[in-house]
Amino acid sequence: MSENTHISHLVEHLFRHEAGKMVSVLTRIFGPGNLELAEDVVQDTLIEAMHQWAYKGLPDNPSQWLIKVAKNKALNILKHEKHKRIYAESLQRISEVDWTTEDLSDNFFSEQHILDDQLRMIFTCCHPAISTDSQIALALRTLCGFSTQEIANAFLTSEENIHKRLVRARQKIRDDKIPFEVPIGKELIKRLGTVLETIYLLFNEGYSASKGEALIRYELCEEAMRLGEIIRLHPLMDEQPEVYALLALMQLNASRFQSRIDEDGQLVTMADQNRALWDRDLIAKGMANLERSKANHRVSMYCILAMISAYHCSAPHFEATDWQGILSMYDNLAVINRSPLVLLNRTIALSKVNGPEIALKELERLHNIPALQTYYLFYSTAAEFLMESGDFEKARENLKTAIEYTDIPSEKEFLHKRLNQCQKNIF
Amino acid sequence: MKDYLLLIKTEGNVWTDLSPEHLQKHMENGGAYIGNLAQNGTLKSAQPLDKGSRIVTNENGQLKDGPFNETKEVVAGYFHIVAEDMDAAVAIAKANPIFKDIPTKIEVHPMMPIGGN
Repeated sequence: MSENTHISHLVEHLFRHEAGKMVSVLTRIFGPGNLELAEDVVQDTLIEAMHQWAYKGLPDNPSQWLIKVAKNKALNILKHEKHKRIYAESLQRISEVDWTTEDLSDNFFSEQHILDDQLRMIFTCCHPAISTDSQIALALRTLCGFSTQEIANAFLTSEENIHKRLVRARQKIRDDKIPFEVPIGKELIKRLGTVLETIYLLFNEGYSASKGEALIRYELCEEAMRLGEIIRLHPLMDEQPEVYALLALMQLNASRFQSRIDEDGQLVTMADQNRALWDRDLIAKGMANLERSKANHRVSMYCILAMISAYHCSAPHFEATDWQGILSMYDNLAVINRSPLVLLNRTIALSKVNGPEIALKELERLHNIPALQTYYLFYSTAAEFLMESGDFEKARENLKTAIEYTDIPSEKEFLHKRLNQCQKNIF
Repeated sequence: MKDYLLLIKTEGNVWTDLSPEHLQKHMENGGAYIGNLAQNGTLKSAQPLDKGSRIVTNENGQLKDGPFNETKEVVAGYFHIVAEDMDAAVAIAKANPIFKDIPTKIEVHPMMPIGGN
């Protein structure tokens, strides 16, 4: 028995993140049509690591160990006569680029290569030919090392549903012969839009009002930010301010995560959040990225949303919030994005600057929009303005309507609490 | 102190379906467990078993060997430990974190002392 059998605490999510790196690198070797093979090799590698490390102790560099073993397994598969037929295309590609077995060594697995391959994987997963739901599922599985069950838990759906999405996505890649590469030039700018949208959707899944366990939700935000970082690190992205803007937005929003839920699992409003719990490091990173995103004249939606978030993050307490600044941002945002949700959120800023009565007039105007008529936040927002202006009876009506229009337990609880306060005429 | 052989028998090969995250947690839990046993001198040796087992039998005077067809039950590995008595050995077996991960049976066999021990 070796002396060092005690496993010290492994870096958090090591296996999960290393799985993402390994799958990307192996997909370059096997080709994007063979995703399942790449995943199988990764699984085998992790199992071997688990058995060996438990009895022999941790290697000096666990990350390198994993990559090396995965590489050897890949080599064996490629060399095996039986597989030469199946992976002929991969082998041909390998010989085209004159890859020898020496190449499948350090060259293939340098930090830069691993980063490049992950970027290729991001663009392959977030290909517009694949449905958005499937894009997210595939990204979580391949890049983030989530199991089908873990993805199903995150999206509160069945494992079978996720399995189907993954099968469809992999098939689409094969059918459309989606290449494993990062697009260039105009194509890059176009495709980047889809990629950023998908990452933003992933982030919002984690950030939105907690349905499942808080822990898994924040992991989704972390993964979205991690993917954003991978994109940001690529030299081509220096001239893409949207990437910095999205990163800023995610980091600034995520910085407040800890304070949004109290010990009882209840939602806490911005006004009541304990700002000491905000992650100052993330705020600093977000602000830095926000600065970089302003370099271009092209102001993206992410940029404006990030600036709004920045206003909140930089206010020492709720009362010190620069609502006029936020209102201007919403006015800018409404120019490029007149979605009902944007217009609704704008009324909150409006009420802070011009008072609840003006905001209520605006809400009446917005009530014509069908999407808002069944939206619980519309009615809860109206209730807030009504309470502030002293009309508690109408506020109660609106809160009851809001409760009817939502299924989310934590939101329902929050609204009930508000209704109780309202019944006591407390604003 | 007496010697005991612990045989770990798991139901099926659940490892093929475990996520990287789950595998890591299992490894950390298992590693801590084994590490403790090793450090306080309880563990004499331990090893996981690999695939491809074979079984040798004597049929009608002929020695044969064939594949070992494990059905649902898979011998996953063994631990050779020392303990005061059977109760202590059983307690050590019960503390194995593998029970949290997959359906498992651990057989605790007392070993006969060899001369000189």
